[in-house]
Amino acid sequence: MATAFMKWLERSPADYERGIQLLTLGRLERLQRELVENHIGSGDRVLEVGCGPGTLSVRMAAAGARVTALDRSRSMVEQAEIRLAQAGVAGAVPLIHADAATIGDRFEAGSFDRVVCSLVLSEMPDASRRLFLRECHRVLAPNGRLLVIEEVRAAGWGARVLQAVIQLPLRSLSWLLTRTGTRLVPQLAQTLELAGFKTRVSAQELAGTLQLLVSEPAAVASAKKPLRPVVVGELAHHTSLRTWLLNLWELVFRILPPYPSWEPGVYTLGDPGPKDPVLVTGNYDLTLRRLAWALEGQLDAWVLVVDSSGINVWCAAGGGFLTAERIAGGLRSSGLDGFVNHHAMVLPQLCANGVDGWRLREETGWGVHWGPVRAEDLPAYLAAGRKKPGGMRWVAFPLLDRFEMMTATLGFYALLILLPVAIFWRPMLGPVTVSLLSLSFFYAAVHPLLPGRDGLAKSLPLALLAVGGMLIHSALFDPVGAPTLFGRGVGLSALALFVAAELQGMSPLMRGEQANWGWEAAIGAALGAIYWLLPRAVGWR
Amino acid sequence: MEAPSLGTLLREHWELAKNLRGLQIELDGEKCKGVWQCYEVCPVGCWRPDYEAGKVEFHHGERCIACGACVLQCPEDAIELK
Repeated sequence: MATAFMKWLERSPADYERGIQLLTLGRLERLQRELVENHIGSGDRVLEVGCGPGTLSVRMAAAGARVTALDRSRSMVEQAEIRLAQAGVAGAVPLIHADAATIGDRFEAGSFDRVVCSLVLSEMPDASRRLFLRECHRVLAPNGRLLVIEEVRAAGWGARVLQAVIQLPLRSLSWLLTRTGTRLVPQLAQTLELAGFKTRVSAQELAGTLQLLVSEPAAVASAKKPLRPVVVGELAHHTSLRTWLLNLWELVFRILPPYPSWEPGVYTLGDPGPKDPVLVTGNYDLTLRRLAWALEGQLDAWVLVVDSSGINVWCAAGGGFLTAERIAGGLRSSGLDGFVNHHAMVLPQLCANGVDGWRLREETGWGVHWGPVRAEDLPAYLAAGRKKPGGMRWVAFPLLDRFEMMTATLGFYALLILLPVAIFWRPMLGPVTVSLLSLSFFYAAVHPLLPGRDGLAKSLPLALLAVGGMLIHSALFDPVGAPTLFGRGVGLSALALFVAAELQGMSPLMRGEQANWGWEAAIGAALGAIYWLLPRAVGWR
Repeated sequence: MEAPSLGTLLREHWELAKNLRGLQIELDGEKCKGVWQCYEVCPVGCWRPDYEAGKVEFHHGERCIACGACVLQCPEDAIELK
């Protein structure tokens, strides 16, 4: 869990831009140019929502528009700042770090002639999009337009299948290289029509799957009515074939996307009333099902599920996927105000590495309280008046968790090792599989007993134990020659190094595995060299 | 703008690894006002409130996993991770 995975998840603006380029095969740029040329006039007041690294904002400002740019990601805002400065328009374009759902609180009615969102609507949870579109009606001046660039689902089943097939490798590659992905809004044009916008497609690329839509606010009665707060669902523990399949996937392939996730919004736990607590968490499926399992029958509460891109709260906060801005936006669009008569939220302590508590207090006016590390401590924590004794605030890594995390990493890393072995070194597949699995679970079991503070240090005693055990075994039951013993020893040492490094990234008590990445690579290479050279030097081969 | 090459990716990971190994907490005792948010959020128990002085102590530094929670939650900007 720790730092390495969070760091890996972290997505830099440069990565994002490279990812989007890959995903859209460079066609996004054409649509953006089209948007500026045909729909942005000199002197227009433009709000760009989700400006990303600022490419489109720079273009619109260069065309003479008075642009205000907004993004919910801090690193994107910083990158946009640099981009704007390079283009010489820094002072002219105010940059705002906030979630799109909060625009109604920031701008006066009729402030803008154009609201622009490029690949943003699809990133929004349903509730945020509903609120955002409603607020667009308000901040747009008469004759204002909403300009949307979005990836849409191809029309017709055949085209859809083709789209999916073509995009699968593209999406996997973009995710692996840059942690960037896009979702599709089903029936985007209808969604915009329902929100009170007369919409037409102004231009399209990639066989109509990337579109520029121009939306004109229409006087629709429903757009004026206040939004009713909605409870998205109930947080209740249940088991079914589906939950078992999810358990299996989340156990073995936990670190591989797509991460199963829930629609963000307000969920009820038990039968909450206006005075009951508000618990905030991310939208990873396993998080929510475990929360339901731990708390059902013990607590009546409102659970605000915030869009964390389907990632657990610790990693999401570390990677910038769960932030004060996302929580503020989620709170604003949830309508929670309509359900409770207090303004206090309890956050999971483990998202404190990425959710700026003070900024969240400032943005929302709500009290922010750091809850316990583990969900099952919540009833005691709340009963004690939001006080937590030491044990509630510290992470532990007990046996069961170690086995769980070992399995969760093995799913991916075993593939990484065993696939090449299966292809290139078939006879060794059996022994390597058995060694890898037994070393992994042996290491997970004795992990706290092995000397050494990190995975690199612990890999030495692990390797010694493995090689020692192998020697004793062959002395007693399986007498083989020195060359075979040597080969097995080197192989086991290399696996021990790999296994110890692997669990380090999953331990909450150690710095990430990348901290030792260089050393592990060097030792691995040295083992390879020894395996290659020594038998030749002593004349075994 | 081009797709990242394997070289850039490896270099980025290498830099990351180097940084991660060397990260150390630095507490500016002057700035600390004893808000104890660091104690509130630290998942490995590095911090201990000093009730008499109204400050905080970084008394289990060896446990630090460089998660950055204390740095982010300190309202006085008294903690740095570098």
